[in-house]
Amino acid sequence: MAEHHYLDNEEKSVIIVMTSGPSTPHRCATPFYIGAILASMESDVSIFFTMEAVKLAQKGVADNLAAMEGGKTIIEFIRDAKSAGVKLYLCKPAMPGYKLVESDIIAEVDEIANASKMADLILSCDKSMFF
Amino acid sequence: MPAFKPTRYTNKTMECNGCEFRPELYYDDQYQIWARREEDGTLTVGMTDISQTVAGKILHVRVRRPGTLRPVGKPVATIESGKWAGPVPNVFDCVIEEANHDVLDDPNLLNIEPYEAWIARVRPSGSVEDALTSMVTGDAAQAGYCERTKREDIHCERGAR
Repeated sequence: MAEHHYLDNEEKSVIIVMTSGPSTPHRCATPFYIGAILASMESDVSIFFTMEAVKLAQKGVADNLAAMEGGKTIIEFIRDAKSAGVKLYLCKPAMPGYKLVESDIIAEVDEIANASKMADLILSCDKSMFF
Repeated sequence: MPAFKPTRYTNKTMECNGCEFRPELYYDDQYQIWARREEDGTLTVGMTDISQTVAGKILHVRVRRPGTLRPVGKPVATIESGKWAGPVPNVFDCVIEEANHDVLDDPNLLNIEPYEAWIARVRPSGSVEDALTSMVTGDAAQAGYCERTKREDIHCERGAR
């Protein structure tokens, strides 16, 4: 049996900075899928929604968005990532530009955070990814 | 106390929304995984019919290396399908004893026969009885299993060769 079937990686911390949003739906599923895989491999994974990605955290948006026609919705990918243990952060400074208010944010978001939180996560993590 | 007798597969099956349920197995409270007692004091672990349906066609399975300690909450394995990725969760402290090489080589077996295509065999760090207190079985498990299929409107479909 091939050795690659076995998992023996060390625990790592990973931040995924998500900037893609509803204007590019084909870019919106994979980051959550990757996040779910990393979390299930025991990485401490944070996904930080900033720039257009904050729109994905608006109620009703990700429910009606799919990366491929007729495919699974982005909110389902977001929930899969949450179930696997991924933490979700929303960039507070990006919210006014997209007319987002706190009461209109999906419950899956763990924290509405300032940019310095993203800076902390990037500086302290083992790996960072940008989508 | 009577001597422990492991429960073996009995062909006795039940269904909820087309999702097969086996009353002799033990389940986590979300009905993602099943566990079966073995005569040697280990537990065999696999995915439920619900889980394989939610995942869709499974493309890749990776199991923690045998000998690895798995505390509660640390996954036994990871699963990838075309549309779903996530852990095979663990609800008791254990050590991985063995992976099912047939499933690692052909993950679609999990979609075809989820209760025969086991994923890993694990040895609980404490007694088997203690490990199983964190799981549900029998009538209580069937009620919870059916409740999840109805709540989430899950209708099971099996994979084919």
